[in-house]
Order: sequence, then C-alpha cells, then structure tokens
Amino acid sequence: MQLSDRYTGLFLIALGGVAAYGGSRLPPVPGQQIGPNVFPMVVGAGLVLCGALIALGIGRGFEDEAEADLAAHSAPEFEQRQAIGWGRGLMALVPPALLLFYVFAVDRLGFLLTAAVIVLTAAFALGARLRLAVPLALGAPVFVHLVFSKLLRVPLPPGLLPAPW
Amino acid sequence: MSTVTEAFALVLQTDVLLAILLASIYGLVVGSLPGLSATMATALLVPVTFYLSPIAAVATIIAASAMAIFSGDIPGALLRIPGTPASAAYTDEAYAMTRKGQPELALGICVWFSALGGIAGTLSLMILAPPLAEMALSFSTYEYFWLAFLGLMCATLVARSSPVKAIASMLLGLLVSCIGIENPAGTPRFTFGVTDLLGGIEPIPALVGVFAVSEVMRAMLNPEPPKLPYRRFGSILKGQLELTRTYVKPQVRGNTVGIIIGVLPGAGADMAAWVSYSMSKRLSKEPEKFGTGHPEGLIEAGASNNASLASGWVPSLLFGIPGDTITAIAIGVLYMKGLNPGPTLFTERASSMYALYIIFIIANILMIPLGIAMIRVASLVLRAPRASVMPIIVLLCAVGAFATGNNLFAVLTVAAFGVIGYVMERNGYPVAAMVLGIVMGTMVEQNLVTSLIKSDGNILPFFSRPVAAVLAAMTIAALLWPIGVRLRSWRPRSAPSA
Amino acid sequence: MAQRYTRRKLLLGGAATGAAATLGFPYVQAQGAWPNRPVTIICPWSAGGGTDATARIVAAVLEKELKQPFNVVNRTGGSGVVGHAAIATAQPDGYNIGIITVEISMMHWQGLTEFKPDSYTPLALMNEDPPGIQVNASSPYKTVRELADAIKAAAPGKMKASGTGQGGIWHLALVGWLTAMGLRPDHVAWVPLNGAAPAMQDLAAGGLDLVTCSVPEARAIIEAGKARSLAVMAAERNPAFKDVPTLKEAMGIDYTTGAWRGFAAPKGLPADIANLLTAAFKKVNEAAEFRDFMASRGFGVRWADGPGFAKFMDDGNRAMGVAMKAAGLAKG
Repeated sequence: MQLSDRYTGLFLIALGGVAAYGGSRLPPVPGQQIGPNVFPMVVGAGLVLCGALIALGIGRGFEDEAEADLAAHSAPEFEQRQAIGWGRGLMALVPPALLLFYVFAVDRLGFLLTAAVIVLTAAFALGARLRLAVPLALGAPVFVHLVFSKLLRVPLPPGLLPAPW
Repeated sequence: MSTVTEAFALVLQTDVLLAILLASIYGLVVGSLPGLSATMATALLVPVTFYLSPIAAVATIIAASAMAIFSGDIPGALLRIPGTPASAAYTDEAYAMTRKGQPELALGICVWFSALGGIAGTLSLMILAPPLAEMALSFSTYEYFWLAFLGLMCATLVARSSPVKAIASMLLGLLVSCIGIENPAGTPRFTFGVTDLLGGIEPIPALVGVFAVSEVMRAMLNPEPPKLPYRRFGSILKGQLELTRTYVKPQVRGNTVGIIIGVLPGAGADMAAWVSYSMSKRLSKEPEKFGTGHPEGLIEAGASNNASLASGWVPSLLFGIPGDTITAIAIGVLYMKGLNPGPTLFTERASSMYALYIIFIIANILMIPLGIAMIRVASLVLRAPRASVMPIIVLLCAVGAFATGNNLFAVLTVAAFGVIGYVMERNGYPVAAMVLGIVMGTMVEQNLVTSLIKSDGNILPFFSRPVAAVLAAMTIAALLWPIGVRLRSWRPRSAPSA
Repeated sequence: MAQRYTRRKLLLGGAATGAAATLGFPYVQAQGAWPNRPVTIICPWSAGGGTDATARIVAAVLEKELKQPFNVVNRTGGSGVVGHAAIATAQPDGYNIGIITVEISMMHWQGLTEFKPDSYTPLALMNEDPPGIQVNASSPYKTVRELADAIKAAAPGKMKASGTGQGGIWHLALVGWLTAMGLRPDHVAWVPLNGAAPAMQDLAAGGLDLVTCSVPEARAIIEAGKARSLAVMAAERNPAFKDVPTLKEAMGIDYTTGAWRGFAAPKGLPADIANLLTAAFKKVNEAAEFRDFMASRGFGVRWADGPGFAKFMDDGNRAMGVAMKAAGLAKG
C-alpha cells in the first residue's frame, strides 16, 4: 500500500472536504456561538490545505533527510525493504481480519476456540512450522483465559467450549 | 513525628507490603503486554481492591499504575508497540536504540529515570501539594486551551518526517476526536446512527491499532529480521549512573515539566511526555540525533512521564479532581475506602496521607530491581521466533481492547485503526501524531468553545489573564520558532543547489 | 481440541459437567430454586465511578444475602447507551440484571436510544442525589435568594453556570429552577463541561458564576474553602450538609429533581424472581454496610420497590421531557 504523495494528498483533500461538509450540516445549539459544526470545519479545512501541500510535494525534503539520518544511525541488516506483489500484499490484512473474526465468532464459538483459531492462523501466516503453531494455539488461549477470566474477572464468553476450570 | 511513625505502622503491615509487591508484579506484567494499557491495568484492579483494607487498596493502585506506566515502555522499545499514549511520544527513539543493538540500554534508561522521576514527583506531592494545588485551581478553560494547543504542536517535533505530513496526521486525529456525542454541544457527530460511535473513539484502542496491529501487519510482509547477536550485558544500572551525570539538565527539566503538567487536571502524563520530548529536542545541542536512538530525549520524557503520574495525585487528593484516567479510577477507590479526597484528608487523616507518600516511594524504589528483572525477561522476546510472538500479540490486542469496557466494538476499533496505521506508516505519515490528535482533540475543542461561551464570544480573556498570556506567548513563540530557524539557515543551504 | 476436552471432563468428572452446564447451556439447567449460579450485574458506567461503586457495594451485600456470586460487569461505551441497551436486551432469566441511572429517562428524548424506563422490569430504587447550587467562596451571594435576585437582574446569558455537558442532568436541573422562577431556560448560559469535577474546578478558578451539581460531588472543593453551597433542589436537607437549606425553605420554590440509581432486569422477568430480587434489595437497602458506604460518600439513600420505582421513573421521565423540550434539547 505504498502510494505516491499525490494520491495520499488527494485523499486528504477529499476527506477534509467531506468532513467540512458533514460538519457544516450539523445544527446549531442554542446558547453557543461556536456550534458543533465549527471544529470539524476547521479540521477539514486544515486537512484540505495539508493535502494540497503534500500533493504538491512540499516538505518532501525533510523526509529524505530523516530517512538518510536514520539509515546512517542504525544497523545495516535492518534496512531491507523489498518490493512485494499484490497477492502477497493481501497477507497484511490477516491480522485485522482475525480481529474481525474474533468480534463475530467469540460469542458463538466461545473464547477458547476463537482464540485458538486466531493464534493458529496467525502463526501459519507468519510461516510457523506445525511443531510451533499447534502447541502455541493450544497453550496461549488457555493462559490468556486463566489470567483474564479468573484473575481479572473479565467476562470472556464460554460459547461451545466452556473452560473446564 | 507521631503521624510519620503511625504512617509507617500503617504501611509496614504484611497485607500492605504483600499488596504492593503483588500489584507491582501485576502492573509490570500487564503494562508490558502489547495491547494492554496502564489505565486498563488499573481499572481491572478495582474489583480486587474491594476486598482489601483501605491502605492496601490504595497501595495496589499506586504500585500497579506506576509500574504499568514504566513497563508500557517495554513493548515500545522492543517491538515498537507503545503501551500508553505517553510512551508513544518516544517509542521511535527507544526502538531505534533497539535496532542499534542496545535494547537493554534503552529500557534501562526507561526504568531508571522513571523511578527517579516518580520519586521527584512524590517529593513534590509531599512538599509542594498546597501551592501546586493552588496553581491547578487558577487554571480556567482559557489556560487549558493554550496548553492543549501547545501539546498539539508537539506533533511536528516528535516524528522524523515531513512536518506537513505530521500536521496532517495530527489533523486526522482531531477529526477522529470529533466522532461521538462527547462534544460541548452534546450533538452526535459523524456517528452514522451507530450507537457504539456515540461515545467516540477511545484513545487506547486506537493506539493499540495503529501501533500493535499495524506492526503485526508489517511482519506478515517483511522477512523475519536476523536475530540480534546474543550479547551478555553487564549491569544495566552502571550505564545509568553515567547518563544521570551527563544529562543533569534534561533530567531536571523533565521532572519539573512533568510535575507541573501532571498537577493540571485533564492534561496528565500523556501530555507531559510529549511536551518534554519535544522540549528536549528543541533545546538540545544535537537535535539531529533525535529519533536515531539518542538517550537525551528518552531521559527527559521518561522522567517527565513518571513525575507527572505522582503529581497528578495532588488535585485528586486535595479536591477530588482527577488528573488523568488513572487517578480518576483511584479517586473512586479512595471514596470506596472512606478516604474521601479533600483537605481533611491532609489534616484529619494525616497518617493515611503519609502512608500514601511512603507507598509511592517504596513503589518507585521497588521499580528498579523488579523493572530490571522484567527487562531481562522481556528481552527474550527479541530472540523468540517472530511466528510465536506476533500471534499472541493479536490475541492480546483483542482481549485487551475488549476488557476496557467489555464491549466488542473496541475490538473493531483496534482492527480498523490497524489498517489505518499501516497505510499511514507506509506512506510516511507518523501515527504517533495521530494518537496525539485523538488524545488532545476533545480538550482543544472543549476549552475553546466553553471559553467563548463564558466570555460571550470575546477573545480578549485568552490574552488578558496572566497565565493565559504566558501560555499564549509560549505557543506563538513555538509556532514562529521553526520559521525563524528556517529563515536563518535558508541562504547557506539553498545557495549550492541553486 | 474436542479430544482434549473429553479427557479433561473424564478427569474432572462432575465438576466439569456442572461448569459446562451452567456456563454453556443456561436453559438446560434453569430448574431448581433461583439463584443456583452466579448473577451478572451490568453497569453502564466505567469502573471506579460512583455508579460502579454503588453497584459493587450492593453486589457484595447481595452475595451474602443470596449465597451466590454477584459479578459486576462494566459495559461502557456510547455515553451509557451501550450498557443500558445491554441490560434491556439480556436474557430475562434472573441471572442478568443491571444498575440503571437517570440518563435512561433522558437519552430517548434526544433520540439517542430506543430504550426508555418502561423497557425494563424495575426492581428497586436505591439512591437519589439532588443537585445543589454552588457558588465561588468569594462570591457576593450569601443566600440563594440573593443569587436568584442577581440572576433576575442580569441580562439574559450574562451569568454562566455549569455542572456537566449540554443536556446533562445538572443542566436540566438549572433549566427547571429557572423555569420555576419564571425565567427563560437560557437566561443563565450553560457552559458544557465534562462532568462535575471540572465544573467545580472552573468555579474555583473564577470562570463560572454557579454550578448545579450534587453536593457530594462538590464536597471536596467546598471543604477546601473554595466554594459554598447555597441550596439543594430537594424535599429534604442532606444529613451530611445540614446547614444547606432546600429551595423550598429558602425561596418557597417547590422544585426538586435529582440523579438516581436503581436496579432493573430485562422486560419479561418472571414475577417470582422479581419478587425475590426486590426483597433482597430491600434487605441491602437496610443493611448497615450499604448505609455506611452511602453515608461516607454523601450519597442519598432512597427506597422504592418494583412498582414504586416504575412510578418514580415514569414521573421523572415526563418531567424530563417537559424540561428538555423547553430547553430545546429534545428531538422532534
């Protein structure tokens, strides 16, 4: 998802415009000179301005300077960024997708099952061997459940597989 | 003298000491887990304090919050996942040190200067509580407006990126803070009819999303970095004594700023670390080193962070006005235990007050050995295979976000901000600046609108009240500073390229 | 996973079966005398606040009374809307109850939620805190009548008051008082602040003319000698602040209101369980532990059983509707 500054700048202009428009439609409140509309409009206008500056490439020099400084001060082996294809790029969406899975599944499946699925999937997505992923998926949910549900009394849903303790 | 003896008698009970020790370990562990914040650590303790004696109950809150604030720096330094909005200010710096192969030095700075800052803050609480409280009470909405504005301006300083992008990120944060009904007008804004959005976006799930989830997202794409060569570090403390001697001035400045900001209700530790870090950068002799793993800013901000935590108790204890989210919870516990905040707490129950001071000191001293042990253990994460660490982070993000309000919506927030943070990071937009915007947005708007209501639309009080005038001058100076610097350095730099 | 579970079940025998039955399949087990498993009390406000503290002390006494754990669960979000909705939509089986607050009679007028007081099975009213009228300690007004005269003499919008956000309970208290004096609801401008604590701070900083929050909320600042309470909008004086008169005593204005907290279950709770719960709450209300706690925080103790609480909420709900429409806060 590395885009050129032109695109992110244009996106900010659009977002700022929508925010300012949305803000301007908010009704005034009796007794307040500055209504709920003002702050979103100011922020929206600011975003439009910043977006325009970014799209025009202003301030780019700082970034190059900063990156050069950082590169000069850190260990070389950390500096390896490579081009990533689109298909592999989608892998980045695994963590947020797992969180969505948690939201929609935890009440039905219960915490232990949901957590095991999340840990297993994430471990495989990161290239873990079976030998690492399976014990992790069995152990981590149990441990987290013990700490949060027993010690801290967070009501984690039992679902299909209630904790036997 | 008898009150002090009495206070020691109150503290030196088996249950109190045990409570301090267990709460310290609890705070260290919870604070150090990515996705779990110091505020959450404290909130989850409330049901436990119900079963404790008053002094033990307050001791658990004090010990756990102090430890959790420090240990929030641990995942920040090791994995670039800050535990609190405050440690977001200097996470990049600490992480840069880790990348240079100095994780234990970075964390050593955090624990050592946190403990010193905490003790300085406690001393201010002991000696200066009444005058500090008077100062806090002289702050009206005009002063808070300038303060919040000044806080926002730190956005451009803490990140090493284009200032335009930093401001854009900060504005995005402000836009996020518009969501919900918690605005001066009490009007639902940008809620799209979703009930859960009425309360707005909480800073903690957003923070967890933009840092922790986006970090795991990056890990999905990038090859596993080579393990740092195993190095046996000597004494973590040894280097610290040297640093303490080298950086006396930043440290004193950090403590002072932390104490002052901490006392102001609503500003709290979050802002103290940001202001101190940017101040350190502005006033440093070598600002170009900031962000590359330079200890100076870390020292000042870490000291400021914990100093403000202690001094934040001043308005809480004296007036029942919370300094931040943690003391807001602490006030509830104080009330529940019959230690009602108010000046009578200082006069009629002086021994209890001294007991609290003693607990603060004990907790901050205990932070050093426990913290060092924690650093040793936590550093193992750097050697564990990434495929075992990252899945657990995802799980903790989900549970941690859920536990803040037992509301699954927070988990959705974390996921959404993970994607936002990832895209921003890839394109050079500093996510820390957005977190700052989310934290400070309500404060800026609230104080601007209420001030204008109070003055019937007149902007004069923003400049005519003495404290407001000073803060206004500082804000304008800070605004003009970069322009001045730029103008001075313009000619020599542009000459060769032209 | 299933394999593992079965093995454990064999090992743990009856204990595990019991846990599975109680946690996983509530209806299979819902026979036998209520309560035979832990009860959840949903609190719509966050841990550490006044409502949370009340819920927890009540839960502690209920536990002793009914010999089952009562777990307080904070369901926060949406300015209280989320938690109130969670109580209303929970299973009406007696194992899910909640603490509801005055906001439930206000938020639906603003169109923020569909839930109203009659969306619940009311069980018990436990607390009500009337608003006081506080001024800065150096303010020239010594009595509430002097303050009222000054308000009447001032130009509309000149005097500033606060206590909570726009449209909050203390804002409506001010509106009610002004209306009772024959003034317009916005004769005193409302400065929306994020709760009573910042309002009292700003009063002490000299930024406000008066604050209409409850007296316990103002207590610490009053005791610090920074503010004074002139009157309470209640039928009776607060025993913890005996020298603060009621509005009726001081001005002859019979206007009372207050923030209250009570316990309720989802609609459709079987009457026998509701009766058992109300009886238990009655015992809690009279218990020394509860009374001591409420007295130490200056919270006012009230009691009303199910029907009484329903009527109390209904009256309050209608009064809120009138006040909110007058102030232009209600939708539609």
